[in-house]
Amino acid sequence: MRSVSRLLRYKNIYDIKGSESLFVDAMRENCRFQYDNSEDYRKILDGMNFSPDDVKDIDGVARIPFLPTLFFKTHRITSYKSTKHLYKATSSGTNGKFSEIWFDLGSLWSAMIMSLKILKHWKLISARPCNYIVFGYQPKRSNKTAVSKTAFLTTLLAPALHRTYALKYSDGKYEPDLETVLEAIQKYSTKKAPVRFMGFPSYTFFVMQMMEERGISVKLPKNSKIMLAGGWKQFYKEAVDKKTFYELARKTLGVEEENIIEYYGAVEHPILYADCPNHHFHVPVYSRVIIRDVNTFEPLPNGQTGLVNLITPLYKATPLLSVMPDDLGILHDGCKCGCGIESPYLEIIGRVGLKDVKTCAAGAADLLNTNALSKVIEGGEK
Amino acid sequence: MILANGVVLETSEQNDLLNALPGKLNKTLMEEPLDPQIVIDAFDNLGKRIANGEFAELISSIEMSGKDEYIDLAVRMMSREYLEYKLKVELGEKKSELFESNRISCDRVPLGVLFHIAAGNMDALPVVSIAEGLLAGNINILKLPSVDNGLTIKAMEILLEFEPRLKDYIYIFDTPSSDVVAMKKMADMADGIVVWGGDEAVTAVRSLAKPGTRLIEWGHKLGFAYVSGYEDKETELQELAEHIMVTKQLLCSSCQVIYVDTDNFDEVKMFAEEFTNYLNKAAAKYPVDDIGAVAELSIKRRVQLYDDFIGGDYSSKDEVVFYGNNVSVTAVPDSELELSYMFGNVYVKPLPRTEITRVLRSKKEYLQTAGLICSPDVREELAMKILRSGVERVTRAGNMSFYFDGESHDGEFPLLRYTRLINIEK
Repeated sequence: MRSVSRLLRYKNIYDIKGSESLFVDAMRENCRFQYDNSEDYRKILDGMNFSPDDVKDIDGVARIPFLPTLFFKTHRITSYKSTKHLYKATSSGTNGKFSEIWFDLGSLWSAMIMSLKILKHWKLISARPCNYIVFGYQPKRSNKTAVSKTAFLTTLLAPALHRTYALKYSDGKYEPDLETVLEAIQKYSTKKAPVRFMGFPSYTFFVMQMMEERGISVKLPKNSKIMLAGGWKQFYKEAVDKKTFYELARKTLGVEEENIIEYYGAVEHPILYADCPNHHFHVPVYSRVIIRDVNTFEPLPNGQTGLVNLITPLYKATPLLSVMPDDLGILHDGCKCGCGIESPYLEIIGRVGLKDVKTCAAGAADLLNTNALSKVIEGGEK
Repeated sequence: MILANGVVLETSEQNDLLNALPGKLNKTLMEEPLDPQIVIDAFDNLGKRIANGEFAELISSIEMSGKDEYIDLAVRMMSREYLEYKLKVELGEKKSELFESNRISCDRVPLGVLFHIAAGNMDALPVVSIAEGLLAGNINILKLPSVDNGLTIKAMEILLEFEPRLKDYIYIFDTPSSDVVAMKKMADMADGIVVWGGDEAVTAVRSLAKPGTRLIEWGHKLGFAYVSGYEDKETELQELAEHIMVTKQLLCSSCQVIYVDTDNFDEVKMFAEEFTNYLNKAAAKYPVDDIGAVAELSIKRRVQLYDDFIGGDYSSKDEVVFYGNNVSVTAVPDSELELSYMFGNVYVKPLPRTEITRVLRSKKEYLQTAGLICSPDVREELAMKILRSGVERVTRAGNMSFYFDGESHDGEFPLLRYTRLINIEK
């Protein structure tokens, strides 16, 4: 896959236009590889009357049949013999259903280069040791969910002095332990080393809320950062808007808005979307995003709400070239952001449906009473 | 924001107010009981002002389907006619002197202090809950839902402006559910806790309440239809389909599952296929406007299409889905009463009449409304069978969510639950 290597070497990581022909070539190569190596994928493309040779331009890329996240949750699909599988990522479960995504060595290498280039661009790699507060799961052999791994891996971006986990494993299940986190915050705030928060926005919010209610505020050391991943989905449209979050972070932790960095990504689409200074997820050269009509799946113009179709040629062991998570989103013109990056940016505004709303932070959502299902029924006039 | 004694306060004043509240409540409790006519006058006035569009701006910010119908219902539930009728039906015409002997007199009086937990985002629900509490003569402490848009406090301000005599009977807090300390304080002051919400909210409230505090739980319910023959097949199935599309299956009384009186799954599939046409027609009349619901169905459909291409069977439940335009009917071989995907996505399941009680009893906590479609000669027999299994209302299938004036709520009269009986020896 020569085009992928060239894409990974592409200098300006947000030059969507300049990298287009390279991207199309890489997509065609990937589509051909998946078609030749996965029987199920071939049957789907044949059924949809689509051939890898149809990927001639960016419109051809848009016509590649996408695989919904739901498909990965009910099917095990791979284009490599299991001996070549190196690493398995599992998505957070929805109603007990998990996606299993396999990675081969080449794919992992691509993922690493891509991540490093993006993190380097945003100057998130530091040699200065930090204290970490991980709002995620304590790593454990049996816990393969990608969120716990990313949360842990991100603590390697700067050397770790100490790590405190918000979700503790006891008696066979994970439980939030916010009191311990609060103690750690108070302890770390007296030290010189910067603190880095990593994980679900919801738990971060609970701790800050707890501090505010108890009248506790600290000033964390300079260069402390709050890094958020795992989704605002549970908050969408209500409860906490980002402004409230930033304000609370400034008030309780002494962390300014520019030091709050958010990521978007999915197991089925391992591309790191880091937010710009205006907190927007611009699309990097390694991927493209198409928003589709919820009824017809036709691509929608920028600015309209629809299903999110995420496209990347980086991965081989599983056909992840065009996937559709259960997210509803809007793609905005890059020029509307104002940060200077011209690549369009993705805004996630919610989840599809109402029944399968439980996600990795469901426990947190329940505490906040933002579970959409119960809202609908609570909302129901009786 | 907080509302106390007719004054709007900042959230930061919550704890000071909670500390002073027991004293305030005691003072009010010592006074003459509240006259229900004062309450009726005040709410009738409020309802009229809502109907006249006084809250148009706030109401326009509410996002929900069937909003107008809901507002209409809320206005009707505040009307003098409705409240007087409710008072009469639920507490009897003469509230006092229920019973009098030579030595003992008996009277019905307010419970005292009610703590309302309106856990949802249904914007008029907190107001309706307070109205019922006041009608029974109680002091009301209300915890707003986390997503309240300010409608409740605004409505109560207007109510109190019209009727200042109610100001010591209404306390509204915007305390988050996570503030357990404040929630516990409010619960401790209450004689009864009224909770609207799902299993999680109800369970949380149970752990909050002291033993002896009366719990009034308006939990979530699952509605279903039962089909065993017809009086007028076309009309009845059309009405059921329209009920599903009008309510979007969001109400406790909405139909989630249609049971067919058979143990033959082929008959279930045949019914499901036929009913899809009815649902399709109803959907054209009352379309689904929820983008998330449509999106979910589109994705499910796409995955099913891929399943067909691959040729494997990945479905764990042997379900057969029939799709219409943005709606679906799923034939399922089991008989479990469960929540559907809502928004016009209904389940059809087999349930032979001999099995009704066994199946329904396994979900007895969730039973409320059954819509019955059958031939006239078996209607009474089937209705009684369903009611004896724990269901509280059996209606015609098209009327499952119709509100009949004077009907009980989840098998009870709320005002009876919000009052208590006292005895005085002469």
